[in-house]
Amino acid sequence: MEKSGNHHHANESSENHDHKSEDHENKQHSDELHSSTPESQSESSEHSLVEVMEAVVDFIQTLSSEKDPLGEISPAVESFPEAVDSLVSKMESSGLGRDETEDSVFIDAVNRISKSVMRLRELKLDSTPVSSWLNRASSVQHRAVSLLDEEFRHLLDRSREEEKKNNNNNNHHDGSNSDHNNSSTNDSDRCVLQDHEEAEEESFHDFSPESISTLKKIAGAMISAGYEAECCMSYEMSRRHAFKEELTEVGFEGINVEDVQRIGWESLEGEIASWISIVRRCSTVLFPGELSLCNAVFPDQDHSSVRKRLFTGLVSAVTIRFLDFSGAVVLTKRSSEKLFKFLDMYETLRDLIPAVEQSDSDLIQEIKLAQTRLGEAAVTIFGELEKSIKSDNGRTPVPSGAVHPLTRYTMNYLKYACEYKETLDQVFQHYEANQTDNKPEPETKPRQQQREDDEEYKVSAFARQMIRVMELLDANLEIKSRLYRDPSLRFIFLMNNGRYILQKIKGSIEIRDLMGQSWTRKRSTELRQYHKSYQRETWGKVLQCMNQEGLQVNGKVSKPVLKERFKIFNAMFDEIHKTQSTWIVSDEQMQSELRVSISSLVIPAYRSFFGRYKQHLDSGKQTDKYVKYQPEDIESFIDDLFDGNPTSMARKR
Amino acid sequence: MPATDFQGSFGRSLLSLRRDQVDSSTVVSGSSSHHEPSTMEVELDSFQRQVAEKFIDLNASSNDLLSLEWIGKLLDSFLCCQEEFRAIVFNHRSQISKSPMDRLISDYFERSIKALDVCNAIRDGIEQIRQWEKLADIVISALDSHRPIGEGQLRRAKKALIDLAIGMLDEKDHPSGTNLAHRNRSFGRVKDSHHRSIGHFRSLSWSVSRSWSASKQLQALASNLATPRPNDVVASNGLAVPVYTMTSVLLFVMWVLVAAIPCQDRGLQVNFFVPRHFQWAAPVMSLHDKIVEESKRRDRKNCCGLLKEIDRIEKSSRLMNELIDSIHFPLNDDKEVEVKQRVDELVQVREALRNGLDPFERKVREVFHRIVRSRTESLDSL
Repeated sequence: MEKSGNHHHANESSENHDHKSEDHENKQHSDELHSSTPESQSESSEHSLVEVMEAVVDFIQTLSSEKDPLGEISPAVESFPEAVDSLVSKMESSGLGRDETEDSVFIDAVNRISKSVMRLRELKLDSTPVSSWLNRASSVQHRAVSLLDEEFRHLLDRSREEEKKNNNNNNHHDGSNSDHNNSSTNDSDRCVLQDHEEAEEESFHDFSPESISTLKKIAGAMISAGYEAECCMSYEMSRRHAFKEELTEVGFEGINVEDVQRIGWESLEGEIASWISIVRRCSTVLFPGELSLCNAVFPDQDHSSVRKRLFTGLVSAVTIRFLDFSGAVVLTKRSSEKLFKFLDMYETLRDLIPAVEQSDSDLIQEIKLAQTRLGEAAVTIFGELEKSIKSDNGRTPVPSGAVHPLTRYTMNYLKYACEYKETLDQVFQHYEANQTDNKPEPETKPRQQQREDDEEYKVSAFARQMIRVMELLDANLEIKSRLYRDPSLRFIFLMNNGRYILQKIKGSIEIRDLMGQSWTRKRSTELRQYHKSYQRETWGKVLQCMNQEGLQVNGKVSKPVLKERFKIFNAMFDEIHKTQSTWIVSDEQMQSELRVSISSLVIPAYRSFFGRYKQHLDSGKQTDKYVKYQPEDIESFIDDLFDGNPTSMARKR
Repeated sequence: MPATDFQGSFGRSLLSLRRDQVDSSTVVSGSSSHHEPSTMEVELDSFQRQVAEKFIDLNASSNDLLSLEWIGKLLDSFLCCQEEFRAIVFNHRSQISKSPMDRLISDYFERSIKALDVCNAIRDGIEQIRQWEKLADIVISALDSHRPIGEGQLRRAKKALIDLAIGMLDEKDHPSGTNLAHRNRSFGRVKDSHHRSIGHFRSLSWSVSRSWSASKQLQALASNLATPRPNDVVASNGLAVPVYTMTSVLLFVMWVLVAAIPCQDRGLQVNFFVPRHFQWAAPVMSLHDKIVEESKRRDRKNCCGLLKEIDRIEKSSRLMNELIDSIHFPLNDDKEVEVKQRVDELVQVREALRNGLDPFERKVREVFHRIVRSRTESLDSL
């Protein structure tokens, strides 16, 4: 008893509040009517309605305050159901949303009849006249609310169809715009998305302020009439259809898990692209838009749970479809070309989370799980790279000591991968964390923390991965370099590949930052070492034969020895020129550095050798046979080296 | 929060399995290697026994057959079997990549992928049942027995009951069901609004493509499923048997889901037979036969799913409908009592759905995830 008493009071106060505003409105109404048709009061149905409405307000108030059971219905209120019934008939033919005043009168009437019916039912009066009135009133109420329900759905659907029409019209009128829209629909490119969002932003407000205000009124009336369930079903239905159409428009129709496995990578790539574009649109535009629509149609403070429920239901229904697709994609065979699409999907899901978090959806964990699966796939694919490096053990060396295709492939792959640096870092971190989580021993926890304090541990997970790949590549190249029988060529090969790697790293800020400066410095040092080793290997012997030692016999220059020395030099130099001008140093800078350093080593030595000993042979008949090259010739021949084309010496001369 | 279940409940990850394996293999190599085949035999035999036990249990509770709770139990059993199977596959992974196991296991994975589409279609069906629950809710709140019932309340209830009846018609009797909503909308302001809400909803089944058919999917799942050939069994050291077992369990579970829950182009015409010599054959076949019987019994009534709760809500709403048609005002006490009874019945079914659907849906989802995981594990561990 006490409870119901309290309830009563609470209602009373809110009713009084309502009453005031309604009263005010009605006064205005009746004043107008009174002044225009003062004499024909009883014949004006509108007027009688106004009177009845006023009487109903009193009636409801009486119902709220009356302690004694009501025995009968006052004559003033008796005809209220019929008055509302004729209003419903009128509205059925005209529809809501045409005349705001008429809408308000109608909604007012519905609210009042609902209130009367609810109050009377609560009172549980045992009186035939009252129950007969209640029957009539509740029937009319049902008819009226059914009409509202229909109008509600109709308004929601119509706005959607008009939006579609508008979009089409816009596209027809503005050619350039339509081109743009079309291209962006299927394009997953990030730059294009920006424009797309803006265009979408405008057209999303497909509900005119008038429609919103009517929808709001209807929703309010339906809910206060106790028809919340119907109202929510209609809203839900309409919005789900809207979403389904949206998905269909971007070409994201139900694709079965099985089909995803069957179609080729190219078609699947297309599906992924449209998936990415629609999921992104949901994160940035559609879900937030849906939330604001929900808030606009159900603005009442008391309806916050309705709003939350509707929004959550919609978001969940749509999101789970997205997750199905991602689950299907992740079941396809792993291959290197998929890495970047998988990472795109991973990022797209990550960006979806904040939008879904606006709802009460329990799918956040599922989104994260889908990300985990994509991440695991990415880790596997990345691991395939390691495997392919390890297993690349062909026995034929690349001719001319040039950059090995494996080096090119690996470095270009890493360069692309580094564009996803942050994401890959997350992926590897997550993967490693999962591995630690799965360790049963409890001691791992403190150990991990300890490691986290360690400077070394702070190197990002992906950087560690990169370093692993680099080490594997180095090891592989080291093995490959041993395939060359000529140690000089081996060094040229190592220089070429080392230089290529270094240039790639320097050319990408991402990799450079990831690998760190000391690593880059170390590589440069290695390159210099190869360079020195090459010089020693190729030119050491050449320099040796120009050594003054052993040339003098008994304090005199020995001609035969000198002749022999010149012969040896010529032969060695010819041989070096012949072979090493077929070698390739593709990096121009490194090529010129090599030539410069060779020149600075060989030319001064030859010049002094030549200058000092040429005279001893000048008198001889076959000077040309022994003194084949002028120092200048040497210089120009050195410039032939590492060009990759076998130059004929004769032609040169 | 519930979604984390599938990470936690069977927390033994592949990695920990791997570690266990390392541990046990060191132990084994320490002792005589002659024991190996017998431990494997024990392992495989225990799997057969476990599967059998699960289905014996399911038989024991078969008076509850095809209720949400019972099917939930079936799904739990599936998840357990699947987990055991996964462990077996992992423990003998060296064999898995060899013939004939490579062929057999990839056949299993292919079938399990087909099952994923069934899970998705079932989710749509669950969503459909949820709509019925909402309609039942409307009936209940209209006829709330604490307050006097007026004509308006009856009409409201009636409208919801008609929607419910239309919604529960099997699609096959209603081939245009999916198009109904579209057609209505193109007519603009159509008055037959109650045909709209549910027809409207059915066209929202969007988890599988429009041409997808549950019946064909089941047939594909079952096609060429034969008991393992003796030479395959020998060549695989017996591993062919658990693969066959797991495939059969998978097929049976999917078949039950399609039998129970409304879904696109439902049909149960699948040739399902397990030879008696498998330990689990008898209990599985017994359940199978019971369900076939139930389907024959209910099929005459054009039901859209054999789920017990569907039957209850169908019956309850039909009786309610009949009762409403018989009511004249003023309401006499007898009728009032009767309405109260019917409402109470409906409340019970509604409660069963309200409490049962969410956990059931989560279980279906978990089956989905588990299948995905076992597949990705094999893709990622190679």
